[in-house]
Amino acid sequence: MSQPAEHTLPAVDAISHHRRLTRRPLAAWQWSSLSLASLLLLWWALSASELVPALFLPTPGAVLGKLHTLTSQGYMDATLQQHLLASLQRMLLALLAAVGIGVPLGILIGVFPLLRHWLDPLIEFYRPLPPLAYLPLIVIWFGIGEFSKVLLIFLAILAPVLIATSHGVASVHNVRQQAALSLGASRGQLLRYVILPGALPDILTGIRIGLGAGWSTLVAAELIAATRGLGFMVQSAAQFLGTDIVVLGIIVIALVAFALELGLRHLQRTLTPWHGKAL
Amino acid sequence: MSLLQVDNLTVHYPGQSLPALQQVSLSLAPDELLVALGPSGCGKSTLLNVLAGFIAPSHGTAQFAGQPITGPGAERAVVFQHDGLLPWLDVAGNVAFGLKLQGVPAAKRAAIVADTLQQVGLADASDKRVWQLSGGMRQRVGIARALASQSRVLLMDEPFGALDAFTREQMQQLLLQVWRQSQRGIFLITHDIEEALFLASSLVLMSPGPGRIVQYLRPTFSQRFLAGESVRAIKSDPEFITLREQLLASLSRAQQQEAA
Repeated sequence: MSQPAEHTLPAVDAISHHRRLTRRPLAAWQWSSLSLASLLLLWWALSASELVPALFLPTPGAVLGKLHTLTSQGYMDATLQQHLLASLQRMLLALLAAVGIGVPLGILIGVFPLLRHWLDPLIEFYRPLPPLAYLPLIVIWFGIGEFSKVLLIFLAILAPVLIATSHGVASVHNVRQQAALSLGASRGQLLRYVILPGALPDILTGIRIGLGAGWSTLVAAELIAATRGLGFMVQSAAQFLGTDIVVLGIIVIALVAFALELGLRHLQRTLTPWHGKAL
Repeated sequence: MSLLQVDNLTVHYPGQSLPALQQVSLSLAPDELLVALGPSGCGKSTLLNVLAGFIAPSHGTAQFAGQPITGPGAERAVVFQHDGLLPWLDVAGNVAFGLKLQGVPAAKRAAIVADTLQQVGLADASDKRVWQLSGGMRQRVGIARALASQSRVLLMDEPFGALDAFTREQMQQLLLQVWRQSQRGIFLITHDIEEALFLASSLVLMSPGPGRIVQYLRPTFSQRFLAGESVRAIKSDPEFITLREQLLASLSRAQQQEAA
């Protein structure tokens, strides 16, 4: 008989199958979904029972309804999509600038230690500052236009990109550099074919952290006389006690951040599959 | 004329009382496989780094083909024990790397790479990623890369030190075959006495404190292997065993003198 014994005894099979199901520990994503579901349930219970007034916490249904209104009719002269687009555009501009400046500068810092000693105090001075602290200065210097908003987000992204890039460049295996040199690499070739690809995993990590920092600066940036953007939408709704819009805005901001994180992780896996592998 | 020529080479690292290398002289003919054998601290790595051009002599000279060595160069390809390969390139990309740096056109590169991979027994692995390979296969890639780059001498830095005994013996045989086919000089450092005796056409025994050469030998076991004798027969030959024990004895003598 080639079949396993348990298949010949359906009753025993059913019992052991049942046991296996009840005993199997939950996977990580299952725990996470459970956590989210209970949060939603708590929200719904607190708001639907009117234990917490709608002014403080609208029901999930009301927020969902608002989503429909915002996507069709909009709020403050713009639909939710337009607010989202405005915020994403600022992020994209700031990101391009931060990568365009941060990566080359980080490489220079990594290659020339003297430059590191020069720039380190500057970077370490501004990096831990909360953006809201230097926001007034930016407004005084650069006004209330689009430039100031993008600049604020740019500064938030720049520091992690710069630090990660210079660290990545400085920590490229010495042996790999020696190998390339002994195969006849010039300094330019060394940079292009060994140092840059070797630092790429760190650069991508820096961008990932920077995007998170930049996105969380968004609301602060859109404090500056904005007429569009997710941060602006949330703030102006708060002034009119539109709690449902505030909650909806927060959820959208969180979802975008989550999507950015997942996208960057995917990019890291595709571009640098060797990262973390033993060599 | 000798390919590599070292005369009265002394290397003194800053902050250390004893020189890492003292008054070392040796030469490598174009068809030689020169092995520097010694325990850690005997200066064999320093010697290799001087020949590769990674560090400069404090006194004395190191020359390649009659010219002083002033830095790394494509005519002296290094094979490292670890980490020398580029993980973002596949096997073929790694082997082609030196040729690419020298501006060899892609079509010619591909032909040389295919040839070289064949030579080291990796013809089927050309599109594998480096991190998917075993330690022995990685060293094959490292050797192939040094061969493909049209170097005139291979500098090998304990290339088989991290491999298991079985793989190491396979790689030693492969290296001898490659040596004969490629007609290149090889300078190899190791702390493995059997490996040194089996591979070397010319052998220097080094001792620490300060690093120096204590004995020159000309073993013939590699010629016997290339003439068709089996590895096991060679390594169990009384002559091989006697020499191995003599080397071991002079090493421990040198270390006792150092301690005294």
